[in-house]
Amino acid sequence: MGTAQFMKGEIQVHDYATRVVFRYMLLFVILYGVYVIMHGHISPGGGFSGGMIIGLGFLLYILIFGQLWDVSFRGMILDSAIIFVGIGGILEVLKFVIPFEHGPIGVPGTLFSVGIISVSNFGIGILVASTILGVYYMISEEA
Amino acid sequence: MDVTISKLPFYCVIIPLIASFCMPVLARWKKEFCAPLATLATAAVFVITLVIGYQVMNNGPLAYHVSGWEPPWGIEILVESLSSLMIMLISGVCLVIMVYSFVAVKFELERIITGWYYTAFLLCLSGMTGLVISNDIFNMYVLIEITGISACALVVAKGSRMATEAALKYLLLATIGSGFILFGIGFIYMITGHLNISFIAIELAEVKDTYPILIWTTLSFFVVGFGVKAALFPLHLWLPDAHSSAPSPSSALLSSLVVKVYIISFLKILFIAFGLEIFHETFIRHLIIVLAVIAMLSGSFFAFVQIELKRRLAYSTVAQIGYIFLGIGLGTPWGLAAGMLHILVHAFMKTCLFLCAGAIAYQTGRKQVNEFAGMGYKMPITMGAFTIASFSMVGIPLFGGFISKYGLALGSLEAGIPSIILVIILSGLLNATYYFPIIGQAYFSQDEHEAHGEEHGAKKFQKDQLPISMLAPIVVIALGIIYLGIFPGTALNFINQTIAMLL
Amino acid sequence: MDLQIVFLNFPYFVAIILFSMGTLIVLTQPNLVKKVIGINIMETSIFLFFIAVGNAHGGVPPIFDASAPDVFYVNPLPSVLMLTGIVVSFSVTAFALALIVKLYIYYGTISAPNFMKLK
Repeated sequence: MGTAQFMKGEIQVHDYATRVVFRYMLLFVILYGVYVIMHGHISPGGGFSGGMIIGLGFLLYILIFGQLWDVSFRGMILDSAIIFVGIGGILEVLKFVIPFEHGPIGVPGTLFSVGIISVSNFGIGILVASTILGVYYMISEEA
Repeated sequence: MDVTISKLPFYCVIIPLIASFCMPVLARWKKEFCAPLATLATAAVFVITLVIGYQVMNNGPLAYHVSGWEPPWGIEILVESLSSLMIMLISGVCLVIMVYSFVAVKFELERIITGWYYTAFLLCLSGMTGLVISNDIFNMYVLIEITGISACALVVAKGSRMATEAALKYLLLATIGSGFILFGIGFIYMITGHLNISFIAIELAEVKDTYPILIWTTLSFFVVGFGVKAALFPLHLWLPDAHSSAPSPSSALLSSLVVKVYIISFLKILFIAFGLEIFHETFIRHLIIVLAVIAMLSGSFFAFVQIELKRRLAYSTVAQIGYIFLGIGLGTPWGLAAGMLHILVHAFMKTCLFLCAGAIAYQTGRKQVNEFAGMGYKMPITMGAFTIASFSMVGIPLFGGFISKYGLALGSLEAGIPSIILVIILSGLLNATYYFPIIGQAYFSQDEHEAHGEEHGAKKFQKDQLPISMLAPIVVIALGIIYLGIFPGTALNFINQTIAMLL
Repeated sequence: MDLQIVFLNFPYFVAIILFSMGTLIVLTQPNLVKKVIGINIMETSIFLFFIAVGNAHGGVPPIFDASAPDVFYVNPLPSVLMLTGIVVSFSVTAFALALIVKLYIYYGTISAPNFMKLK
């Protein structure tokens, strides 16, 4: 009973501390996600983990502040999530198609040393983040 | 060998994958372009598989290393003659179903879901082709999951209460199955340290006496996992609901192909990775034969008591899966060849039957088996195809089903268990008891509602009121069944090349 | 049984126990959300099993360090495989939850015995 209303944004959390803290934290969560994506090829992490962090950051934002955005904007997010899933998926596939021989291996400690793999990591990151938001919105629209 | 040709199997997986990612984006702008693009991608895959089949027949197996990494580390794609036959079958049947679903999707599904339907369909196609040609067991697991989840999506596409329920049941049980498979893969990696099937085979042959209990455990995990996925009898509980409540093209795809690709990957793991010695030393063979015999009989019994046509067809699939597993369990050249041929024949028969069921529901709205009176005169072409498929299902000579059953009988003689022949005959008779009443009703009795107005006994053939894109696939598939019944040589040639390598 | 072996290899035992628990929960719990939780427990136990397979006693994380070229690394491959496993598990969970929401709209309950009967 309560869950459905909460998911629709009718109930808002009136917790002052959470709201104030998270307002400043969101930027850092996203920055950390981008960092994990960018360093995916030379350290643990990568598109999936970074995209998960970014997606969960936005998800926390929605859960804390309620759904401030109106329905048309939500629809736009769903649309763009679908398009980004398409783009990210194609990029991910291209990673396998383009470097038919060994892909560039990467130099430890050097950020821009792998060419196409960085780009497709970004694709995967966008895909995962938008998938999380898309799944959340689809379920909350249905309930 | 030419480099371009060795890349071809890879394109079979990648083309539908890219096309499926394009579908939801395309559906936002131009919904009507989805179906032609999906058909184009499937047709391209079909042409590629034909080229691969020609190559494999003449020049031997094709191997390709994805992204250029060598086998022990990278993913290897290996197409031997059985795999090439199976990818031809998969893409061909998918193409036929795709053409059929032009109209059927508009009739059975809501318009908003169309783009997603083709996404799931192409993902399923890509997963199935990848599963058949992959030579790496972890890659196999990923493709199993892709196939399984997209199959669930195909079931739930209808959006009705029954379909949602069936899809959830399917999803939960299939996930348990793939969990068992993944655990088995973990055991194999623990024993051998390899994920490539060829390397596992070499390593397991050396260490199999060191870890006898672990190998038993691994085998039983694989049997349960693939048994759930392929609906071997006591683990078939998800199948009738899922296959009967899905839209007709989906149920044709699920029933004819999706449950079979798991059997092929099980065959690969059992015969190539574990090898013949383990197969004969452990009692896995007896277990598979017993379960298969029970499936053949009880699947037919359950089918006999169903009233809804699609449920009856779904239970019939349970029985036919038993035949294929029987072929694997026998483990003799004829038995194995007949089991593999039955995959081919059953794919054709079940596709034909489900497409006919969909066509009948499209024209007349009838779904129960006791409403078929006079149908042979209202829809002669559809009922003709239905009759051909049913005769083949029973195992009447000149139709495809006869060849595989005959082969299974020969195989059981080779294996020294002649009593299996009795079971095969009994199961064939049971098939007759639930298919012949439908056909008899359709041709020899009058429809009560319509006979009222007309004069009694006036039976006239009318033309089917179906669009050509629904009628043509049914006719093509029915012709395929007859072709397999009269000229099974080409298919058996493909199968026997691989079996000569296995045994 | 030698207790030493059990203690050294306890992740395997934990993985098997969790796997059985997860399967039991999926098959016996009437609540659909609990079934999904059971699936998650089951898959997590498999991840634990794989990572235990890759572990080597006394190994260090497999990050290349130029100053110490010949340290003893644990096997990174099973961990990487499980990244894929986690993605699969995530998508199965999302899909199952979406289906449960749909069923909740149809039936007004998420208790399975009310509608998931054998037919």
